Amino acid sequence: MDIFTLAIWIGTLIFLGFSITKDKVKTKQALKMALGMGKGMVVSILSIIFAIGLILTLIPPTKVAAFLGTQSVLLATIGGALLGTITLVPAFIAFPLVGTLIHAGVSVVPTVAFLTTLTMVGVVTFPLERKAFGVKFTTIRNGLSFLFAIVIALVMGVMI
Amino acid sequence: MTMIKKVKENLFLVVVALAYMVMFITSPAMGIESVKSSGYYIKEMLMIMPVIFILTALLDIWIPKERIMQYLGKDSKVKGIFLSLVVGSISAGPVYAAFPMCVMLHKKGASIRNIVIILSSWAVIKIPMLINEAKFLGPKFMCIRWVLTIIAIIIFSWMADKIIKDNDLPGEELTQAGLHINRGACLGCTLCANNYPELFEMKNKKALVKSYKTLDMDKLENVTKSCPVKAISYNENKEM
Repeated sequence: MDIFTLAIWIGTLIFLGFSITKDKVKTKQALKMALGMGKGMVVSILSIIFAIGLILTLIPPTKVAAFLGTQSVLLATIGGALLGTITLVPAFIAFPLVGTLIHAGVSVVPTVAFLTTLTMVGVVTFPLERKAFGVKFTTIRNGLSFLFAIVIALVMGVMI
Repeated sequence: MTMIKKVKENLFLVVVALAYMVMFITSPAMGIESVKSSGYYIKEMLMIMPVIFILTALLDIWIPKERIMQYLGKDSKVKGIFLSLVVGSISAGPVYAAFPMCVMLHKKGASIRNIVIILSSWAVIKIPMLINEAKFLGPKFMCIRWVLTIIAIIIFSWMADKIIKDNDLPGEELTQAGLHINRGACLGCTLCANNYPELFEMKNKKALVKSYKTLDMDKLENVTKSCPVKAISYNENKEM
């Protein structure tokens, strides 16, 4: 557990203790509410997780790296951004991987596009995000994130 | 009919399950590999989701709507943007962990813009991630990408806010007269039916309002507040 997760746990437990001393009934209601939220989301979250496992096997990060390294910059940028949207590679795998790519002389632009869409745009989380916020919100947030990921990549290409 | 409806509601789950079946038939080794790599994410989820749900519920109960509106609402301006960036950055866990929190904040009056900022920064800006990035790609690379990402989020959240209206989000048809349940948002948690069985019942795993003559306003208010997705609304003034 990283320190931030731990901090959230500790903070929440203190908050919970405080809440209990102040109003037991309300606290009980909050816990019930939390359980209700969990029940409502658990199936969707599990589907997402298993979809990620599947995608990681079908499109392994090493293959992505190989692809980014061999294509022309333009193709690799678009491809990298697209691959970033469908996969969800943990950061501790993604950064070393991209690090070796850049040290091997691959252009910065496609790798940044890949890194940014990797976390900000999610095809697998789309169904859950849509359920929570509606189609329009989800489409626009993800669409704009995708476009700006490419802009960030291009700007970084100029700056570095 | 109900079968088709069920499949439709859980379309994503069905697709994933089918994909696994195909994979286990064609290549069992790859199937096992997929399940194994899912394991890491399940652990990640179990570490963060319970606490996020509890925290969301506690904040929902203790922080009044006016406060949220003041700090994250439409008129919160720079203060709201800054606060949203901070909330997103100090968070932990995958982006879907932000969903229940943001739904709650939006129901309590946070603006679309600030919701987009929280979601996006929750996804991209993580301090442990930044440290990792600096380690493997150099501090200069990390800093430039970080600054550019923040600028991008500030710009596109403004654009999103211009395009998306509050009532594009589910559970926002709250202005109908009388007592109303947004059955699209209802999670079927049965909280309302348990707390006020005279008024609410469960039908097809969703809450339904029974026909009523009198209302116990205290009880109703309690139920409305406790609904995890704020799907119950009562509009006194417009009732005929």
